Amino acid sequence: MLAIASIAAVSASPRTPTDDNEVLANLPPGTAHNSMQVRKQATERIDVALPLAQFYISQARVTGDLRFLGYAEAVLTPWVTRGTAVPAALVLEATVQQSRHEFDSALATLDRALAAAPNDAQAWLTRATVLRVRGRYSEAAAACTQFGRWADAGVSLICEQAIEGLTGHLEAAYATLRQLSPQGMLVPERAWRESELGEMAVRLGRDADAEHWFREALAYSPDELYIRGAYADLLLRQRRCGEVLALLKGRESIEPMLLRIAIAQKQLRDPALARSRELLQAAFTTEAQRGEAVHRREQARFLLEVEDLPQAALAAALANWAVQREPDDVLILFSAAHAAGAPQSAYPALEFARSHGLLDARLTVFAGARA
Amino acid sequence: MRRFRVVLAGLLLAAATHAQAHVASNGFLRIQLDGPRIAGSLELAVRDAEIAVGLDSNRDGKVTWGEVRAAQAALTLYLRQHLQVSVPQGSCVLNFGAVQINERVDGNYLWQPFTAVCPAVAHWVTIDYRLLDSEDPSHRGLLTLSAQGMTQTAVLGGPRGVQNFDLSHPSVWYAFVEYLQAGIWHIWNGIDHLLFLFSLLLPAVLIRREQRWRAVPQAAPALINIFQVVTAFTVAHSITLSLAAFDVVRLPSRLTESVIAASIIVAALNNVFPLVTEARWRIAFAFGLLHGFGFAAVLSEMGLPRGVRLISLLAFNLGVEVGQLAVVLAVMPLAYLLRSTRFYQGTLMPWGSTAIAGLALVWLIQRAVG
Repeated sequence: MLAIASIAAVSASPRTPTDDNEVLANLPPGTAHNSMQVRKQATERIDVALPLAQFYISQARVTGDLRFLGYAEAVLTPWVTRGTAVPAALVLEATVQQSRHEFDSALATLDRALAAAPNDAQAWLTRATVLRVRGRYSEAAAACTQFGRWADAGVSLICEQAIEGLTGHLEAAYATLRQLSPQGMLVPERAWRESELGEMAVRLGRDADAEHWFREALAYSPDELYIRGAYADLLLRQRRCGEVLALLKGRESIEPMLLRIAIAQKQLRDPALARSRELLQAAFTTEAQRGEAVHRREQARFLLEVEDLPQAALAAALANWAVQREPDDVLILFSAAHAAGAPQSAYPALEFARSHGLLDARLTVFAGARA
Repeated sequence: MRRFRVVLAGLLLAAATHAQAHVASNGFLRIQLDGPRIAGSLELAVRDAEIAVGLDSNRDGKVTWGEVRAAQAALTLYLRQHLQVSVPQGSCVLNFGAVQINERVDGNYLWQPFTAVCPAVAHWVTIDYRLLDSEDPSHRGLLTLSAQGMTQTAVLGGPRGVQNFDLSHPSVWYAFVEYLQAGIWHIWNGIDHLLFLFSLLLPAVLIRREQRWRAVPQAAPALINIFQVVTAFTVAHSITLSLAAFDVVRLPSRLTESVIAASIIVAALNNVFPLVTEARWRIAFAFGLLHGFGFAAVLSEMGLPRGVRLISLLAFNLGVEVGQLAVVLAVMPLAYLLRSTRFYQGTLMPWGSTAIAGLALVWLIQRAVG
């Protein structure tokens, strides 16, 4: 015991490298000090600021590195704090807030953008997305309608049908999106269509179809981490843990991916689990220290599926439920409440699903257990 | 064309909803105050130091140890400008030593030790943390401040760049209050402990004579009964809670939870088919030992903060007692007043107890089957 403690202490202490050529860090694009020169220009020129902020936001999405959101915020701040803010800058600011799960702030920022530019399709789509995550479906559908007035018909159909699929018309929405031809769509648009189809298939209980959509989407959009995570969850449910490890290999630095890796490692009794657990615990601890909760859902799953702490998982799932109301949020709350022997804790989520007509085949396990 | 641009950017937003992000940018600031003397360290991610100071002199996208050493002067200057510690009597000028490397879960960090001597020994210290404030407004400094054997933590930077810390306020007090509340909360929410206790307390205002319940003639025997049951339960669960909290004994939580449910059944059925009519405190003690493991499970999920483990454990246990006593004080006077009624003896005793046993049976099945 003493020996282990002292080894841990040694590995945690600082060292002085002996080789000047030792590489300490690789710098992703846009993170070198000289990028500060472009940033200086961005404070003067909106035509530099907007693409730069967009670049940082897309880097945050692809690499999962939250620093990029801070960089985007730094670029946007001068353009959103002045008296007459630039609407396009406000929309990007809202995207940063939304990516940090600061949903109320994002909606307030979008209100400012739409007050200045009521026909900003971008703003309406972002609004629809935030409202959907918050479970405010009728408002989200209204935002999709507004979006459809200014945007491509095919894409606005995805926006609209995604909400339909959550509000009692799952089968019909799935059929509609299937019929929507991906011909002529841009790559991210196709990915969006297929990820919605995949998730709908999951909720319909058609795992084989879902797998088809996820694989299709990942074939040409390998960096869509959200789809990769959804596919990994499907594989985990089918206990195909080895495939999960292969699917997520090389993406261990991204917390939600590492979570799925850890769950798979646990099932496989893989000794590498110890390291994954340590990394995740550190990440959640740091997040909690900062008073932030970007990853409440992941934390609840970690506590439940890796740490076997159902009571703590339930507390995290309830805190998550207060902020986020996607089908996965319903699912984790149900699982945690059930595991903690307190199924009544999930009643608000059950009532939410019932009142909206939210169907999810994954929840039938619990429905069966309740009966 | 315009339509396409809008749509492309919009998709980016749609997918960005599902934030797939790992740790944000954090600096780790450790400050130890010993009288007027300060010893400490600041850890800054290599990538954060790069964007702030510029380490990658050959611009090949890789930061090497040689480049870090070459940038030491620039780094020290930057840190001096962006991190200040002071006491009311004046500034504590930081002297930075040679930079080292520390590996953390999300990559390599520059580990920068420093020392300082403040102009006086003070009860207040002010920390001004502005690292990366213009480069990355989401950067935060996670502070661990130790003084006079007490440790406090805080988040620095962003809107809270300058913060004052009261060194006379022991953090022990905060831990105590937090764990006291947790203990009370747990008793009020963990209804199974209360049901067990009440199953034993229902007959405390009665006496068993010739196969029948009768009201106790005066308060004294009832008070003695209540006192014995509550004390036995308290002593028993305190013992096992302490043993489990310090990892002396561990039981699987499914087993503990199931046995707790079983204990309620036993206690409740004893009111319907009385076997133990004298000295029910023995049941309270025997099963109280198991309830202690149940409390310990809650405590282990919260974790006991290092340095104040014992005080937190005491506070949690005290919270449990306070919560339990509050409920007993609210309910038992009523039971005493009602003790002679047919409702109490003929309805509440048999049927209330049966209902409790039934509920506990459901729990037992749920918990045992999992």
